Amino acid sequence: MQEKVAYHGLEHHEVELSAWPFVVGMSGLLVMIGFMTAFQWKLPMLGMLLSGVGVVGILIGLFGWVSEVYAKKFEEGLSKLAIVIFICSEAALFGGLFGGYLYNMFPAPQWPPANTPAGVPPLGVALVLTVFLLSSSATIQMAETKLEKGEMGGFKGWLLFTMTLGALFLAGQANEWSKLIGEGFTVSTNAYGTFFYTVTGVHGSHVLVGVILQFFILLLALRNKISSRRQTIVKACGYYWHFVDGIWLVVLSLIYVLPNFR
Amino acid sequence: MTQESAGRSGLKEWIFTTDHKKIAVMYLITSLVVFTLGLLLAIVMKAGQWSPGNSLVGPKLYNVLFTIHGAGMILWWMIPVFTGFFANLLVPLMIGARDVAFPRLNALSFWFFVGATVMAVLALVTPGRLDIGWTGYPPYSIKTDANTSLYVFAVHLLGASALASAVNFLTTIITMRAPGMTWGRLNLAVWGIFGAFIIQLFGIPVIAGAVTLLLFDKYLGTNFYNATMGGSPILYQHLFWFYAHPAVYVIALPAFGIVSEIVSTFSRKKIFGYTSMVIALMAIAFLGFDVWIHHLFTKGVEDWARIVQSLLTLLIAVPTGIKVFNWLATMHKGSIDFKAPMLYAVGFITLFVIGGVTGIGNGLLAIDIDVHDTLWVVAHFHTVLSMSMTMVAFAGIFFWFPKFTGRMYNERLAKITFWIILIGSLLAFVPYFKLGLEGMPRRYWSYPPEFTSTYRVTVIGGFILIAGFFMTLINIVRSAFAGERATANPWNAKSLEWTIPSPPPSYNFETIPVITAGPYEYGSPEEGKKALPEEAEAF
Repeated sequence: MQEKVAYHGLEHHEVELSAWPFVVGMSGLLVMIGFMTAFQWKLPMLGMLLSGVGVVGILIGLFGWVSEVYAKKFEEGLSKLAIVIFICSEAALFGGLFGGYLYNMFPAPQWPPANTPAGVPPLGVALVLTVFLLSSSATIQMAETKLEKGEMGGFKGWLLFTMTLGALFLAGQANEWSKLIGEGFTVSTNAYGTFFYTVTGVHGSHVLVGVILQFFILLLALRNKISSRRQTIVKACGYYWHFVDGIWLVVLSLIYVLPNFR
Repeated sequence: MTQESAGRSGLKEWIFTTDHKKIAVMYLITSLVVFTLGLLLAIVMKAGQWSPGNSLVGPKLYNVLFTIHGAGMILWWMIPVFTGFFANLLVPLMIGARDVAFPRLNALSFWFFVGATVMAVLALVTPGRLDIGWTGYPPYSIKTDANTSLYVFAVHLLGASALASAVNFLTTIITMRAPGMTWGRLNLAVWGIFGAFIIQLFGIPVIAGAVTLLLFDKYLGTNFYNATMGGSPILYQHLFWFYAHPAVYVIALPAFGIVSEIVSTFSRKKIFGYTSMVIALMAIAFLGFDVWIHHLFTKGVEDWARIVQSLLTLLIAVPTGIKVFNWLATMHKGSIDFKAPMLYAVGFITLFVIGGVTGIGNGLLAIDIDVHDTLWVVAHFHTVLSMSMTMVAFAGIFFWFPKFTGRMYNERLAKITFWIILIGSLLAFVPYFKLGLEGMPRRYWSYPPEFTSTYRVTVIGGFILIAGFFMTLINIVRSAFAGERATANPWNAKSLEWTIPSPPPSYNFETIPVITAGPYEYGSPEEGKKALPEEAEAF
């Protein structure tokens, strides 16, 4: 256990001032005020402007933040544990959604409800998406193995492959959504539609975040900030990606498969 | 304000700080500001109830007042004072670390919290003032003209803040303990904070999701809570209380830990039953997630679920009772010194037992159905949660006041205010038990004339209580700037944070300490001589 104990700057400790948490925090507030302006005050243009400025602020803040972190010559590797803890809360988020879905499904006389235009969306498309996502779990593992061996070229290649599979998944899902909406199946159709778009949407947004994170790691790698001795962010991204892939199997079973057995 | 940074305490040093001690102070200030706002709203609510047919506020304004009062007191005062102020102040000092694991993320947590505070103020001052209660139940929160989106986004910012804190502090407590600081030597306050953040970690995403669905239903036309389209408004109540019930333990677990620190220090005795305390804390954190349906006993939930959760609710009384008995056993034959923090801690135990015993009644299915949504419930949670936890917050603020400000508070004023607050609390809220049993519903702006005299007792009590709170606020603010200078260890306490100067230097520890003993090692031979005069030995 002893070697896992970490200290901030065991030899010295400089008082750190950082402007970036303030910038990100206040930009976050601006994004929310923008949403509120659009939703409640029905001023979509002003709302989009405020939120847009907020998003730019967040990006600038995060960029400055990361530059500060990578300006240091060492890392403590605490983020690996932190991401595992964070994933626990993500599991709770999905747990809440799944719970809500089942809560509405079990008492319903018919599921999906009778007014669902084309019934349950076809399983075939979903299975193809599953193949994309599950194989990307294997490719990101390959990328990590290459990184540990110090083969940076292989690492970047496998990472790019993973991103491509993630992007294919997202494209496939967007295509399915637009087809279903074309058939008249929307969030407002009934509770099944509401949950279908919310659950797949929340999951899809997690995939999107994962792909953006991988793109970001690729940029860091191209600037030689990633190495076999500095790979915490890669490990953290890997854990997150495996989680997002794993939770898809639950989404698949509950949304696409289970309604067929009712 | 502090000796060490006196030369360089400009605004920039605060806004851009990543120092956990400065962040703690900023949390405290923000929380106290909202606490004061909540008190002012309570004054208006109380004052109008002097006679039936509330002459001061009408029903619409009354709804706004109790919404902001409730949300403000729970989400901006009680939760952040424990998981923001005390967690930031105590965790690194008590585990022997120089800061938390991610100091910048910690600062971000605080700024999200400030953002949420801005949202709360907007909810009060902009058109469409929030009148949906702190619970925000649909369908009313969807159909009302009030600005439900502010409620949702404030919860989002608070949630982001709390989640970042949870990840940060759990990582800190797990990985950054000083050598020799085993799990068995952790302060109970740290254990309490650990439990609170575990609850936050699993609970926050669920409520953040629940209110997001509210937003979708109100503004985007989805059907989560729309019963006519296959959704269910009761689903919101399940998701809401899945977090909002454990949220009371987010407040209570750190409070239990803080009371343990204070009781042990001022009784000059090792805390009784350390292991049982830790097990009880963790048991409450776990059980807390399995009792939310007791908020829905009258909402048509199946009998089996109601019976199971009623029994689980009663089961929580067991670990809670263990804690009360342990505090009493710690005090038993101790050399008790009733300094203000100890007084507040004992006051907490008193109010907590009154509120806790009535909680057993609430938990029983048959009684709950009778008293559901009456003033009985208001009386219950204002004694067991609001007043008793505020007592602990004040006890902790006074106890560590010398540590984080480097100055002493006014002891005499603190003791006088204690009695004012205790008497005010009992007068203001115990009559509500009677009114509730007589069938007076909660959240009513007016009341029938036959309740006038009882209501007047609560109004008088309320004003006494509020006077006590303002005196405490004055004590805190005045002493922070003009109190006597404090020594490093004014209480002769044994815990790690008292081994370093008051206020601590920004790096906390000159060298990382090696821990060889627990935090409550009172009662060694020399200790006894110092604490107990010869005469006292006769007992």
